[in-house]
Amino acid sequence: MAIPLYGFLQGDTIGLLVLADEGDTVLALARKLQEAASIRVARNDQMDVVHGGKLIDPALTVAQAGLQALDRFDVIPRPKL
Amino acid sequence: MLSREDWLPLARKLDWDYSYVREEEVFPEVISGRPWLPHSEWKDWEESFKTSYREYVDNQYEKDMAVYAVRDAVGRLENFQTLAAPWINSLKVHAAALPLAEFTGVIGNLRGARFGRDSAWRTMATFGALDEYRHTQIPLLLFHQLVRWDSQFDWAHKFYHTNNWFAVAARHFFDELTLGQNAIEFHIATNFILETGFTNLQFVGLASLARESSDHMFERMVTSIQTDEARHAQIGHPVLAVVMKHDPKYVQYLVDKWFWRNWRLFSILTGLSTDYLTALDQRPYSFKEFMEEWIIDQFLRTLEEFGLKKPWYWDIFLDELDIYHHMIYASAYTYRATLWFDFVIPSPAERKWLRQKYPKYWDDMDAVWEQVIERWRTTGTGAANELAVHGTAMPTFCDLCQLPLSAGTPRQNTANVLVQDGRKYIFCSEPCRWIFLQEPERYANHKDIVKRVLSGEAPAQLPNLLTEYFRLTPDTWGTDVHHGNYDWLIARKASVA
Repeated sequence: MAIPLYGFLQGDTIGLLVLADEGDTVLALARKLQEAASIRVARNDQMDVVHGGKLIDPALTVAQAGLQALDRFDVIPRPKL
Repeated sequence: MLSREDWLPLARKLDWDYSYVREEEVFPEVISGRPWLPHSEWKDWEESFKTSYREYVDNQYEKDMAVYAVRDAVGRLENFQTLAAPWINSLKVHAAALPLAEFTGVIGNLRGARFGRDSAWRTMATFGALDEYRHTQIPLLLFHQLVRWDSQFDWAHKFYHTNNWFAVAARHFFDELTLGQNAIEFHIATNFILETGFTNLQFVGLASLARESSDHMFERMVTSIQTDEARHAQIGHPVLAVVMKHDPKYVQYLVDKWFWRNWRLFSILTGLSTDYLTALDQRPYSFKEFMEEWIIDQFLRTLEEFGLKKPWYWDIFLDELDIYHHMIYASAYTYRATLWFDFVIPSPAERKWLRQKYPKYWDDMDAVWEQVIERWRTTGTGAANELAVHGTAMPTFCDLCQLPLSAGTPRQNTANVLVQDGRKYIFCSEPCRWIFLQEPERYANHKDIVKRVLSGEAPAQLPNLLTEYFRLTPDTWGTDVHHGNYDWLIARKASVA
């Protein structure tokens, strides 16, 4: 089932609606947001995902990570060394 | 026959005691506003203009003739065609946002003209309604001739009749401010906060921008409107002064609520025009400088004069001066097909100017523009590539102001989620959340664009949303004025190659 989520990519100027599948991994979700925001923010493979103020494991599925419809999640690119 | 001096006070102050109805029935609290007070508390209501109807008509006639004279001299189509393209798009923003919003002011003033609690207030509100009707008709008249040249000007009349996201936000604001408001809140929120706080001075600033841009027609129009605003804005002060005596907490609440609600729309309308849609060499000041010089000082002085405090979110507001309209502009540029006017990318010289004016957060904004420019370079410039340099995902909106979730900074967007009565809401900022929570019954059932899409009320696919719901067409939706063909962008592309 598709879950609509509010995605915020650090560096971007606007939040975007991302439709996730319960079985999607958090990593796939983060990449989906990066792709959607790529007109404004350059892609970065190294990133953290935050939900409810906590870092979440990118290997978890959206359902395992506890993301529910209309939640906010944040993708925070790591600084390039 | 009475002289003017003897007649006018009698005509303006014509109140009487009711014998077969109660005063509460003539002026019900639900429509006259709270606190409900007997007329004895309002009888000293006064304003300084003390105009008679005849004087009003004579003055307005003179002002209208002056506007028409300027229109005949410099308001022809060929005059507009000489203006810089970005400024013409600033005109399109105002052409859409202004006239029918002013018409809602007619309705609000007419409510005051019937349900205001003193006859002098009602007299002044009658003039206010006539003013706002004039402010509707003048821009509709002036912009109508431009439709045959550029159909985006059709939005002067069309805007509020669409479900375009910005129209939804503007309607949400004006429905509450003017159309559905009781007389007391209307006159405090509109006259004291919107007009005294923002638009009275905004029109002075806009006239100055128009003059610098050689747009003498628009300059004359806003100057003429401003003289009306300066008069009818005076209604708010004596209304506020009476309510202050009886319920100062309520007045403070109205100030806090309406300053923020006004700021949201004002920062977009004026911020974009000042810092992006006016040619660099014609900008007399930055938007932040304008706010600091024209708005903040006088607003704070007025608050102090009435014994009111700064709104509790004042530090958030000051911080937003550096960033909010920049976040909105960059977001809107990358969703320009969702709007009815065209955009420009700030040039290297403009970005340098913006960095000087907004040093606090400009580095983060500049990175966004670099990325947008990179996209034009990658896809190639030209009208055919417009949609390749455009957002594709659904943008998101605040459940209070209905504007994009573009508050905070690129590093830390301040959107926040609220769960209440089994429903989820999202707000762009703490003040929007606070306003919602003060009167949830007022706002809870309004759906933002995202909720309309999710409920099936609006199309989910962006192209369908634009054409079927926002009422745009490929001919009228916003594009880049130059379709990416900027000399500096092409020169840099060549040097990179």
